[in-house]
Amino acid sequence: MAKGFAVRREQVLGVAGLLLALVLPNLAVALGKPDLVTLGTQIAIYAIGAVSLDLLIGYTGLSSFGHAAFFGLGGYTVGILAFHAAGEPMFGVIPGATEAWIVWPLAIGVAGVAALAIGALSLRTEGVSFIMITLAFAEMFFFLFVSLKTYGGDDGLGFRRRNGLPGVAPRDDVAFYYVCVAALAAVLFGFSRLVGSRFGRVLQGIRQNPRRMGAIGLSTYPYKLAAFSIAGAGAGLAGALHANLLRFVSPDMLHWTMSGDFMIMVVLGGTGTLFGPVIGAAVMVLLQSWLAQWTEHWMIVMGPVLVLVVLFARRGILGLLR
Amino acid sequence: MTVLLEVRGLVRRFGGLIAANNLSFDVVEGELHALIGPNGAGKSTAIGLISGEQRPDAGRVRFDGADVTALPIAARVKAGMTRSFQITSVLPDFTALENVALVYQVRAGHSFRFWRPAAGERALLEPAGAMLARIGLGGRADVPARDLAHGEQRQLELAMALATGAKLLLLDEPMAGLGTAESQAMTDILAGLKGHTTILLVEHDMDAVFALADRITVLVYGQAIASGTPKAIRGDPAVRDAYLGEDA
Amino acid sequence: MTLLLEQMLNGLQFGVMLFLLAAGLTLVFGVMGLINLAHSSLYMIGAFGAAWAGSRGVAFPLALLAGAGSAALTGLVIEVVVLKRLYARDHMDQVLATFGMILFFNEAMAMLFGRQPLMAAVPGFLSGSVELIPRVPYPIYRLAIIAVGIAVAGLLYYLISHTRAGMLVRAGATHREMVRALGVDIGLLTSGVFALGAALAGLAGAMTGPLLSVQVGMGDRILITTFVVIVVGGIGSVRGALAGSLLVGMVDTLARAFLPGVLKSVMVATEADAIGAGLSSMAIFILMAAVLLIRPRGLFPSHG
Repeated sequence: MAKGFAVRREQVLGVAGLLLALVLPNLAVALGKPDLVTLGTQIAIYAIGAVSLDLLIGYTGLSSFGHAAFFGLGGYTVGILAFHAAGEPMFGVIPGATEAWIVWPLAIGVAGVAALAIGALSLRTEGVSFIMITLAFAEMFFFLFVSLKTYGGDDGLGFRRRNGLPGVAPRDDVAFYYVCVAALAAVLFGFSRLVGSRFGRVLQGIRQNPRRMGAIGLSTYPYKLAAFSIAGAGAGLAGALHANLLRFVSPDMLHWTMSGDFMIMVVLGGTGTLFGPVIGAAVMVLLQSWLAQWTEHWMIVMGPVLVLVVLFARRGILGLLR
Repeated sequence: MTVLLEVRGLVRRFGGLIAANNLSFDVVEGELHALIGPNGAGKSTAIGLISGEQRPDAGRVRFDGADVTALPIAARVKAGMTRSFQITSVLPDFTALENVALVYQVRAGHSFRFWRPAAGERALLEPAGAMLARIGLGGRADVPARDLAHGEQRQLELAMALATGAKLLLLDEPMAGLGTAESQAMTDILAGLKGHTTILLVEHDMDAVFALADRITVLVYGQAIASGTPKAIRGDPAVRDAYLGEDA
Repeated sequence: MTLLLEQMLNGLQFGVMLFLLAAGLTLVFGVMGLINLAHSSLYMIGAFGAAWAGSRGVAFPLALLAGAGSAALTGLVIEVVVLKRLYARDHMDQVLATFGMILFFNEAMAMLFGRQPLMAAVPGFLSGSVELIPRVPYPIYRLAIIAVGIAVAGLLYYLISHTRAGMLVRAGATHREMVRALGVDIGLLTSGVFALGAALAGLAGAMTGPLLSVQVGMGDRILITTFVVIVVGGIGSVRGALAGSLLVGMVDTLARAFLPGVLKSVMVATEADAIGAGLSSMAIFILMAAVLLIRPRGLFPSHG
């Protein structure tokens, strides 16, 4: 009974969140704070990355510390294709692209394939080694983009327009906000199906007791690898949207602290829940912008808050609500 | 009488410690075969080597006519053997029914199905419900495994092992931590399985072992020092020496 | 040839530095089961401590001591206040909490010392070069670092294999529960091990001061390199940390020194520079991938 109640409460939260998301632009106008739309867009994008990471941390029990790599790869796919669309084709043969229906699936695909490769190696280990290795491989991609001077190296790569979507004016921030919210809604729906499917059942079994899963005849590796790749693809979508928001990509997207930020969002909101990471992303973005108004040294508050959350509120915000 | 499991010359060292020392014995199809021995005799190691969780340094394991020594765990489960664990090992967040349904799901082939909700799949839930009823947990199907009593968790574990369709169950101390009444219930369940499924039982509860076993193998320092019927084992001087010598 | 020898010495020096960091990190993991990202903060605190003491006119050896000491002290405080509560938690919690500490310490250092890098001078008695190999002048200071590293490795070897505390450390790494059950005051042991690891990290930071600039966040990058060392060497094993450090230090230094040149012989110079820079910074990760393929548990796995 208690479980059913919790599920219903989560649904209520979801509907309330969706309504708030839909009227946010009107709210921003009413309050005279147009920045809210950008904040909302930022939240939706980070939420996509965090939800996909939660598939690993919360559902499969894999503590990946390299999520920023896939976020960055998604972003750079957008940036690099835009760069070549405005100039020479890549290697003289591959033309650039600026249409969302080409670029975004490519960004998702690039990130997913990279995750497949990194996962194939990292998943040969577990526990602490897995954490260290995913962190290290993400750092490798960071260095790769720092050294790619063609694409701006350290300074990053800007481009002029957002990817074209039929019926969406490229300069319309509100329209882009709705695109991101729609993407988040689609990701949430897809993931809710995924975690309830046979595949999702297996992942949750692996989280709860990998040894037992072996004893009932399951090879866990291919399932962990598939989850890792799907999560990477999700981060790729988030990265592509993020690149579009700023019309700029830089190695900062792949910085290891970005991976840490995604982890924080998941844990802050509540691991192993669908909406938890969304709440975590919202809290993180709002807290950052709020603390940053008070002091440039907002990290000195954020750090201890994180320690306290881990020590005393491990179930996250959604966990406390239950 | 066909031999289902044939263990020949297994050796397994942990640093300077020898946990399996030229270990050999047979399990005959249909029997309940108990593996006993003093603490540290290598019983759990033997289960680990047979189930494929550990690799032997030397020796062979033949199961159902095929050499499985090099097979990974999952392949051995497909071939028809599965194990339970000394420490209770269920999926705590899932209900009893979900625990068993997951076994049928794994048995039904790969689980790369990403869309359809598994919660409504009758093809999994029905046999799972029947299995729970058979093992005496029919009324507890919707209780999360973490909320089950200890004895019920051990029953659930047995249900999961049976659900794999195994010809051979490797049971590692299924009575560990159970009270008298629960132990008796588990003994009854195992007695009910006799004849249907071949069982290799590691157990400290000697009353249960001598009540249940068709044959017993005694392990000391990783070696099988005797194998035979409960009656023969009781009278075996080497066994008396190992046990009584240990106790004195 | 002479250039190769010089670069190999550089690789050795970098490897020694990595060892100072990796030894503490891997010991703490081996004994307490803790993954401590804030190890990088201890390195940074050591560097700032020594640079600050140096700027006040404190003699160099004492400044080093100040650096190592401030790191050890900080380490003790965070161990007692926070980390002790995390030993029994899962690694995810440990990562997040110690990540939070990095945020805190980075910001705290920025508030205390500003974001401008501090410069620490090479002390007079260690400046200049010697011709260790005829006609190859090599900085005395770097040689001194190598010497300190070898001394530390020797000391650790002695501590671990010839003292009672070391025996407990070895036992703790393989049978943590057992040591606890035997009634050893594990709290004292963990604090001691942690302070030792922190002091080594602080020493590494303090010695780095005169080579690189001392600045906020200086430990973060080298922490990740240290992770590569530990994965390559085998987690929890000091021997593995030593082997991994030397290997990673050597590969990184040699790749940076020679890879662009090698590429130039097969392609256009400008492209070779760009690709060479990229590839050489990725070299240690490629090494790690190769080790994972062949020996997933590292070169010297600590258990079984």
